[in-house]
Amino acid sequence: MAVELSVGLIAIGSGLAVGLSALAAGIAEKEIGAAAIGAIAEKDEMFGKGLIFTVIPETLVIFGLVVAILILGLAG
Amino acid sequence: MLKPYEMNSILITGPKNLQEKIIKELHKLKILHIVEHLKSELADIGQPLETTNKLSEIIVKVRSLITALGIKQEKNKFELKRGLLEINHTTKKLNEEVNKNFEELRKVEEQLSKNQNTNQELRILKNIGVPLENFTSYKSLAYFTGYLEGKNDITNLEKELSEITKNFMLFDSTLKKQTFMALFIDIKNKENTSNILQKIGFTPINFTNIGGLKGNAVANLEKIERQNTMLMDKSNKIKKQIEKLAQEYKGFLLTADDFLSQELEKAEAPLKFAATKDAFLIKGWVPTENLNNAISKLNKISKDKVFIHHEDAKKEDNVPVKLDNKGYAKPFEFFINLYSLPKYKEIDPTFFMFLTYPIFFGFMLGDFGYGIVSFALFYFLKKKIPKGAALFNILMLSSAASIFFGFIYGEFFGLEEIGHFAIPHLISRSHGVTELMFISIAIGIIHVNWGLIAGFVNILKEHGLNHALFEKGSWFVLEIGILFLLLSYLNIIEIIPLIGWLFFIVSLIMLYKGEGIKGVIEIPSILTNTLSYLRLMAIGLSSVSIAVVVNDMAAGFFHKGGFMILSGILILLVGHVLNIVLGLFGSFLHSLRLHYVEFFSKFFEGGAEKYSPFGAKE
Repeated sequence: MAVELSVGLIAIGSGLAVGLSALAAGIAEKEIGAAAIGAIAEKDEMFGKGLIFTVIPETLVIFGLVVAILILGLAG
Repeated sequence: MLKPYEMNSILITGPKNLQEKIIKELHKLKILHIVEHLKSELADIGQPLETTNKLSEIIVKVRSLITALGIKQEKNKFELKRGLLEINHTTKKLNEEVNKNFEELRKVEEQLSKNQNTNQELRILKNIGVPLENFTSYKSLAYFTGYLEGKNDITNLEKELSEITKNFMLFDSTLKKQTFMALFIDIKNKENTSNILQKIGFTPINFTNIGGLKGNAVANLEKIERQNTMLMDKSNKIKKQIEKLAQEYKGFLLTADDFLSQELEKAEAPLKFAATKDAFLIKGWVPTENLNNAISKLNKISKDKVFIHHEDAKKEDNVPVKLDNKGYAKPFEFFINLYSLPKYKEIDPTFFMFLTYPIFFGFMLGDFGYGIVSFALFYFLKKKIPKGAALFNILMLSSAASIFFGFIYGEFFGLEEIGHFAIPHLISRSHGVTELMFISIAIGIIHVNWGLIAGFVNILKEHGLNHALFEKGSWFVLEIGILFLLLSYLNIIEIIPLIGWLFFIVSLIMLYKGEGIKGVIEIPSILTNTLSYLRLMAIGLSSVSIAVVVNDMAAGFFHKGGFMILSGILILLVGHVLNIVLGLFGSFLHSLRLHYVEFFSKFFEGGAEKYSPFGAKE
């Protein structure tokens, strides 16, 4: 089925919004996660703090998701 | 339920001659959590009891026997009859026997390896008919043994040697690709022969293991084979003997290890006490419900000659925590232990997790069929691995919740209708995405506020109303402000935006007063934490989508009929198994993460010491 160019571009824009922000979060959490696991290996009590530090960059993805939904919503 | 067991601090002090009695009684009572004494100006730590050295010696022997005999830890019902003396005696005897057996085994294996080497050399000499005793040093003969490159070299060699002398004997045999030769020649021509051999690429071999052997190689090979069989038999016999010893003494050794560990624990206990020349001092914590019983027992055993002082837990104390939860919530202590124990004064979130964890899990997995499969799986696993019973109970409860949500979504292995019968449902996951989104965010708002309320109560108890209002109350004001702003800007209610902004600014001020600038920086976090709950919808959606795709693919194959039905069934099986594994992992992990990060960060501090009483086994 053929769709208009604008619809396709909107879809691409939405996808890029989520995809790129997820990539950014992955890169950010990569180092933090590795360090967190190192800390936990030495001291078990660090598990909670380590986990929280690791997931702090999740906000990047959430913003990306919100933008994606807004794009889809505003475009109708 | 929301608080750990109540604890009292206890101080026991008395003369050194009563120390051992008190230690024995405390070990029997199994209720004192000892606070270790650090060496200070006032008092040093105590000396271990006299039996420590002997006990350590014997336990080392017992443990080395356990390792040598390859005994595994298991439940056993062996009863020790006469205590320390019996253990010592039996251990010595067993040690001697085991050592004797291992020594014999070592000798046999040494001989076997030597035979292996000899075999290798004999195989090379097999096809040369020279008796082995001829390979020795002579006064008038020299001999060379080694490899040549090819068969032609033999004829060349013979020719060249004949030019020097006629007194030589050359033997050769071809092994795989190389030619092996043994040359006996007049010692006068030794050097010339060396040169000739070097020219044609001769690689010498020394035979080190055939000294003392007589006769030809083949006969010796057979002799060694026979000897090897005998040695293997002997080695097997010794191994069986060791096996038998292991079986016979298994119970004894394990029980002895246990018994000695307990005795050692008692003997080394004084290292945790404070001690002066003539007195000892024990500091610790006892659950309030056991306090009076403990005091009366200690007084009885010491004939009231020890002094016991007890107080309630004070604010600054580092009180050990023993979680108190009813049977149905107790498995969830597994999650709390995994993270960190709540401080003595804090709310114990185990009950909260019992309420919300299965709901989140079920929300995400949400399939009637998957729920049943996972329930059966965890039930079966619980039987096989009793140690993980807590975790499996949690997972079984969560699977039951999944079944319940499967009814709500009307999903059975991803199918929303069987044949032409549409399964009744409240929400359809694949079609009602927006509704699910709003429900997830609603759950998020409820859960986060639940956490904030718990945090409010925690700070209220510890620091008073002021702190609580400014640290946690400010968040509520912030939420009211955002609510008003949203309502006024979306024109749902007739309210000027100013009110919303007012609330917002007030909350900022309160937050700054309560937590300082780092509190204000955290303001966007309320948005991200709430939106984080969108994963409830996202993971559920992905699970459903994969199931629907798998079903559609299989349906395509079924329609083709015939042989294709087989591949259809295969696709169904593989697809749904993968989806179940994915769903279980995802739901488990993300429900847990929502609790640990979004929920706990609102109120949980943690870091308390675990209550481990003296004398209790782990």
